[in-house]
Amino acid sequence: MKKLNLKLLSALLVPMAFILASCEKDDPVPEVDQEVITAVTLTFAEVDDADVPVAGSAFEVVARDVEGISLGNSPEIDVISSLEAGKKYQLEISLYNGIADEDVTVEVAEDDTEHQFYFLGSALVGEAAFLTYAYNDSDGNGNPVGLKGNIAVDESATSNAGTFRVVLRHDSNKDFTGADDPNFENFEQAGGESDLDVTFQVTL
Amino acid sequence: MLHKRDKSNIIVFDFESLFMAIKSLLLIQILITIFCNTAFSKEPCNFTVRGKVIHDENNEPIEDAYIWINELEKGTISDEKGNFRIDDLCKGSYSIKVTFLGHQEEKKKIDIERNASITFRMKGDDVLLEGIEIHGHRDAVITTSTVSSLTGRILDESRGKNLGEMLKQISGVTTFTTGANIAKPVIHGLHSNRIMILNNGIRQEGQQWGSEHAPEIDPFMADEIAVVKGAETVRFGPEAMGGVIVVNPPSLPVSKGIKGEVNLIGASNGRSGTAAVNISGGSDKIKGLGYRIQSSGKYGGNIRSPDYFQSNTGVRELNFSGALGYSSTRLGMELFYSRFQTTLGILGDAHTGNLSDLQAIIENGRPFREADFTYDIVNPRQEVIHDLLKAKAHYHLSNGAKFNFQYGFQQNQRQEFDKRRGELNNRAALDLELFTNTLDLSYDHATRKHWNGSVGLSVMQQVNNNIPGTGVTPLIPNYDMYNLGFFAIEKFTKGHLELEGGLRYDHRFVDAVRFNQNQELEKKIYTFRNFTAFLGGIYSISQNITLSTNFGSAWRPPNINEQFSQGLHHGSAAYEYGNPDFKSEQAYKWINTFSYTGNRFNFELTGYLNQINHYIYLNPTEEQLVSLRGTFNIFQYEQTNARLWGLDLTSNYEIHPNLEWYARGALIRAKDMVHGNNLPFIPVDRIESGLTFKMKQVGKLTQNRITLSNLAVAQQKREPDFDFAPAPSGYHLWNMSMSTYIPIGDNKLNVGLAVTNVLDTAYKEYMNRFRYFSHEMGRNITLRIKYNF
Repeated sequence: MKKLNLKLLSALLVPMAFILASCEKDDPVPEVDQEVITAVTLTFAEVDDADVPVAGSAFEVVARDVEGISLGNSPEIDVISSLEAGKKYQLEISLYNGIADEDVTVEVAEDDTEHQFYFLGSALVGEAAFLTYAYNDSDGNGNPVGLKGNIAVDESATSNAGTFRVVLRHDSNKDFTGADDPNFENFEQAGGESDLDVTFQVTL
Repeated sequence: MLHKRDKSNIIVFDFESLFMAIKSLLLIQILITIFCNTAFSKEPCNFTVRGKVIHDENNEPIEDAYIWINELEKGTISDEKGNFRIDDLCKGSYSIKVTFLGHQEEKKKIDIERNASITFRMKGDDVLLEGIEIHGHRDAVITTSTVSSLTGRILDESRGKNLGEMLKQISGVTTFTTGANIAKPVIHGLHSNRIMILNNGIRQEGQQWGSEHAPEIDPFMADEIAVVKGAETVRFGPEAMGGVIVVNPPSLPVSKGIKGEVNLIGASNGRSGTAAVNISGGSDKIKGLGYRIQSSGKYGGNIRSPDYFQSNTGVRELNFSGALGYSSTRLGMELFYSRFQTTLGILGDAHTGNLSDLQAIIENGRPFREADFTYDIVNPRQEVIHDLLKAKAHYHLSNGAKFNFQYGFQQNQRQEFDKRRGELNNRAALDLELFTNTLDLSYDHATRKHWNGSVGLSVMQQVNNNIPGTGVTPLIPNYDMYNLGFFAIEKFTKGHLELEGGLRYDHRFVDAVRFNQNQELEKKIYTFRNFTAFLGGIYSISQNITLSTNFGSAWRPPNINEQFSQGLHHGSAAYEYGNPDFKSEQAYKWINTFSYTGNRFNFELTGYLNQINHYIYLNPTEEQLVSLRGTFNIFQYEQTNARLWGLDLTSNYEIHPNLEWYARGALIRAKDMVHGNNLPFIPVDRIESGLTFKMKQVGKLTQNRITLSNLAVAQQKREPDFDFAPAPSGYHLWNMSMSTYIPIGDNKLNVGLAVTNVLDTAYKEYMNRFRYFSHEMGRNITLRIKYNF
């Protein structure tokens, strides 16, 4: 009987010794951050009366944060300085993830029903506003996205400087009352979260 | 001036905040007075003997002990609290005999001149009963520290809840929740890695560092859930500084026959259904061979707050466990396997993009998105699987000593899915696998007159791996961890006095490696060494009054996230970073309990003081981080010295054989002693009281009970310097429940109906991380059916 008991005990101990010996951590694998936007490019192009871009008029304004979201670095943000009073422009936005070398614009366009840009800041909203934005694209449900739009600069602007805030909402309710207004200041109320919230300075 | 006021806050008991609670008790008190004055009319043969049957070695109550009065040939059986009563006794002298399987018979002579009360302390039968040792297989916690447990009826009535919610019935235990489905138990203000959970004797090793990581435990597996409120590092190893939760399954059958239990539970809020089956039996061929298989599942949808549905708060759970055991005179062995598997939805609005998102939703006070009821779970969600394999054996040596062996293997897989773009939605943003091997060897020396004790060795080996391919820089590194501990515990028992002391030495080695956000390889090696000790005692002043005290030290090495965190926490729009150079936390907890067990009145008061040096906490810096995504607050893990103290109260009074009143309450204070601040997320003062109407027999229905209770929770007035929003106001909840047992042949059916938050009160709980933008659950009606066969 005693021998049997010892056998039983060793039957328990032996497999355990194997498990103890065979378990070690894996070598870590670097992850390429997929959710990061390291550059936002606003491409303005002057348009004629038929809203057709004038050749050679396009210029880019960029906000960059090369390391993505990390401590110690603030984004570098260009100033929008080439807009002229009384003119109309087409605005296209492109987004880039420099860490994964990916064009995020394509992902946003593919998931367009879940994304929408809002355009805020003193240049667009409030008494001193001198820019007017209008969406010029739509998602699969006919709601605006904002990857492409038109901007008109007020001819008799009372102010010639302000802020231009671009917010990209993800997973918001586009049917929410007021959500189709590009200058919707209470965009949070439509739910979702901000994938992007960047403020440019604008001077005429 | 400000400093002075702060100081007075910690010393002066806050009467104001408890005033409303007391007011609510007044009505109940009036009822008591009315009943007391009408319930008793004197008759010659109406004396009652009441008493309690407990294990001599640990004061745990004994259920189903047989109490017999020889002269009258009349007897009864003790209930789940070990209590019994025998009514209608005439004046005279009687001899009472108490028997319980595996224990020596106890006899007492009593003279009845008035109602009497007796406590029987049952000594374990070392001369083994029919060659089969019963009690030795139980993992009952034997300690001089304060222990509260949920067993029997109380456990039955809380079936269907998660572990955290169940434990709230113990005073001093609350929960730290993340939304409606994730609840972590909090003992005396401490949670996560500062407390320990023993799942069937094995220390639970999941990703416990996260506040949104609920314990991976199926409460249906247990027939006893106990909370040890003292610092128990010596017995159980590092981290048990706030207390230990012990989840024990029933002992395996040792004689032939099959029995089982089926539970069916439906709840209105979340429209959830829960089912659980438990079958156990003993072999008729091999004596001492027993088995048990058990399974449970839950399916629930969106939780409703009084004014809205909380989006994406569904839950799925599927659990299984099996055990096989063999028991003979000398040898006991058990093999156990369990799997816990869950999918949890997380309130979508909780995932905020940046600080202004968070501020907007806090200002709104409730989720922005209107949700309907659905069972569907979308991102953000968690998928967790926890497997446990355990082998256990003990062997009685011929000199009376005992050798114990226990080995456990755990595998914890945690995947967390975030709201992301396109295909990434199907890839976990956090994907971790944690393997833990534990080996515990101990030797209980033979009892020598007043002394017994044990020495032991415990080995733990752990591996944490990030599963590559998440597309997110991992929050915590891959690591190997080894922990070796030695301990010795000795107990002295004489008469009504028990003294116990112990020592332990631990050595821990951690080897962690990862790629940080800048793709640089980081490698860190740590060694932690620590001595811990405890000393405790229990003294029974009289049959009714017991005093216990326990002073223990404990330690906790810094969590891997406290050392390595560097990244965004979307729930709090915070950029958190850790400190790889932290020292271990050192705790000293002193806990004292006064307990009175009377004829009709029971009372237990526990007071404790816990000093934790090098206490690690997340400190909001005043800095902010600006990124293309917006602004974030910067939080940094720091160390300070913390002091926590508090009181737990439990009391019940039998107003009339048909009517019982109970109350339990807890008060807790916690302070950062270096900066003079209050610690964040400390449970608020609370008191719960209720009246239970009991009827032993109504037709075929037995043990009928109807309970109406009120929970009053104050506002947290001791807030930390920084918080996103002020503490929510206090609240009152009314709850009611009824239950009955119906015998069907030899079998038993238990039916229970409970309504929580009867008035559908909209309230927020300070201890919910989502309180900033969501309310707690509204009214919930639960129907439970349990069938024993």
